[in-house]
Amino acid sequence: MVYEEPITDYDYKVENCTCAFCGCNCDDLVYLVKGGEVKGELKDGVVVSGYVDGGHVVGCRHACRLGASKVMEDMDQRLLVPMIRDEKGNLVETDWDTALDKAAQLIAHAVRPVFYGWSETSIETMHYGLELGELVGAVLDNQATICHGPSLQAVQNAGYPVMTLGETKNRADMVVYTGNNAMNSHPRHLARYSTFPRGYFRKRGRFDRTLVTMDPRYTDTAKMSDIWVGFEQNGDYEFYNAMRAVLRGKKLEKDIISGIPKEDIEDLVESMKQAQFGALFFGLGLTHTLSKQRNIDIAINLIQDLNKFTKWNLIPMRGHFNVNGFNIFMALEQGFPYGVDFARGYPRYMNGETNTIDLLTREEPDVFMVIAADPGAHFPSGANRHLANIPVIQIDIHWGPSTELADIVLPGSFIAVEAAGTSYRMDGVPIYMKKAVSKPKNTRDDEWIVNELLKRVQKIKGIKPEVASK
Amino acid sequence: MTYVDKPTVPNVVKFDEPTATKRNKLEVMLNTGSDIYQGACKKRGSTLKDEYRHASGTAYLDPKDMAKLGVKNWDTALVKTNWGEVVVYTAHSRDAPHEGQIFICKGPWANVIVSPETYCCCDPTYKGVPASIEKTDEDPLLMADLMAEVYKKYDKHETVTANKLGKKPDNNVCHYRS
Repeated sequence: MVYEEPITDYDYKVENCTCAFCGCNCDDLVYLVKGGEVKGELKDGVVVSGYVDGGHVVGCRHACRLGASKVMEDMDQRLLVPMIRDEKGNLVETDWDTALDKAAQLIAHAVRPVFYGWSETSIETMHYGLELGELVGAVLDNQATICHGPSLQAVQNAGYPVMTLGETKNRADMVVYTGNNAMNSHPRHLARYSTFPRGYFRKRGRFDRTLVTMDPRYTDTAKMSDIWVGFEQNGDYEFYNAMRAVLRGKKLEKDIISGIPKEDIEDLVESMKQAQFGALFFGLGLTHTLSKQRNIDIAINLIQDLNKFTKWNLIPMRGHFNVNGFNIFMALEQGFPYGVDFARGYPRYMNGETNTIDLLTREEPDVFMVIAADPGAHFPSGANRHLANIPVIQIDIHWGPSTELADIVLPGSFIAVEAAGTSYRMDGVPIYMKKAVSKPKNTRDDEWIVNELLKRVQKIKGIKPEVASK
Repeated sequence: MTYVDKPTVPNVVKFDEPTATKRNKLEVMLNTGSDIYQGACKKRGSTLKDEYRHASGTAYLDPKDMAKLGVKNWDTALVKTNWGEVVVYTAHSRDAPHEGQIFICKGPWANVIVSPETYCCCDPTYKGVPASIEKTDEDPLLMADLMAEVYKKYDKHETVTANKLGKKPDNNVCHYRS
């Protein structure tokens, strides 16, 4: 192992910052800031209120590898000026007015615009995005469409036996991770919420809990679990059905189900029944395989059946820090969680029709706006190949795979480090993420960019812009 | 220290495994997803760099499969599915054994070959895609080159390359190979 010296070369500390990486939204981070001037109150080297103007985050305490890597970003690839693609296909730097006007023209004259992303920005930005989408008849969609979309459908099908992560910490004595590798995707989830922390009723932390992982792969989470259930690839649906059958007192006729001997299934169900408070966390292993939302249906039904014996709850392991926020925000404002289509002037939601991937594979959109997302890195090529035919507007902080496909690039700011905003944790708890340092000079807040686009589109459409709240 | 300097997996492939017979091409099941190296590299924003190519453009194989193919850590392989083909590095999987399955972290390389079929459930099939893998001498492309070669948004000239797309998706009609 390589030992790295602790960072001592810093001027200020900003405490209680929120991590903007995964759905855990750990709100106990300490940023170590070098340089700059404190705009606010400073007490013993700790910035008590306000932020550091012109400073850089050189270190990050308490964060996992993922959170730290995001906070201490790669400034080489930071987008710092607006850019527009010229005829030769090169991105050329330009000023904000030109770039915003061109983007507004594209959006205002589009027939079927799609605004995709939103999961790595604040609720305040979504507010203007929704207004813009409603005005131009766009489809508003977020990353749930490629990750936990089936989970949301299953919630609509079967219900949502939900809890908060605090309940897990204080009460859970059996924790099940299924179809996800929390040690890699949510590294502090076990440490901060589910398995290791000492809770009110679980005084001994890890020793008071049983950790079960159900995954075809022997993942890093499985390696540290008490029980690993390695069912077959695409065998999730059958396996959960078998568990439900055992739970309802049926005898299993097959000896081996999805690669698991029936005696093992019976033992597992028995121990799940014996738990005092069970928590099930499910990830993309369930939503990305062939039975999609039916996997989650059956997992939710399993939890409902278990509740006849003891207390069990579940939480989807949401990936981005605000992917849940968009779903909650849209469900509150429009009644549908994601993939909301305003083409007819009123909100519509139809799975397989108004979702980004389906729209792109059918080659329907004529303008695509990416905000705080990376379709270049995360969409299948069958969907991405349509992005090569249409203008793409990108609002992001780093030069990523999507920038290679983008025609207009608008540099945004980094929520929870350079801009404040509200986000929702994976269990639906809203957290206000504060600003720690100032943003690079020529970049703008996402909120400002989307609001500015809205005002310019309103002007093109001949609608009197309302005075913005901020 | 970057992720490239430090090999994430030990170089333990034995070429004289008694059960392994040498093959030129293997039929495998492709899974994609994230791991901590890919996540950290992507979210830090280092996507144009070599470390992203190593973190994301790597197929993690079971050691037995590696022995059959005759590849070792950081050799290169061509992965083909119905949806496209792409050159990636090979490495010994940390989650082995999982013979007959390969894992490629999500990213531009995996995107070329995963299925865009949503079956009207909004979510593409990222996991469990039938694929074939064979050894190759070509190097995986860096992110920007790959995006330019595969999607050809700004350069429409036809170039002969191993990184290309397969057939077009056909409006959610089931193509699943039985």
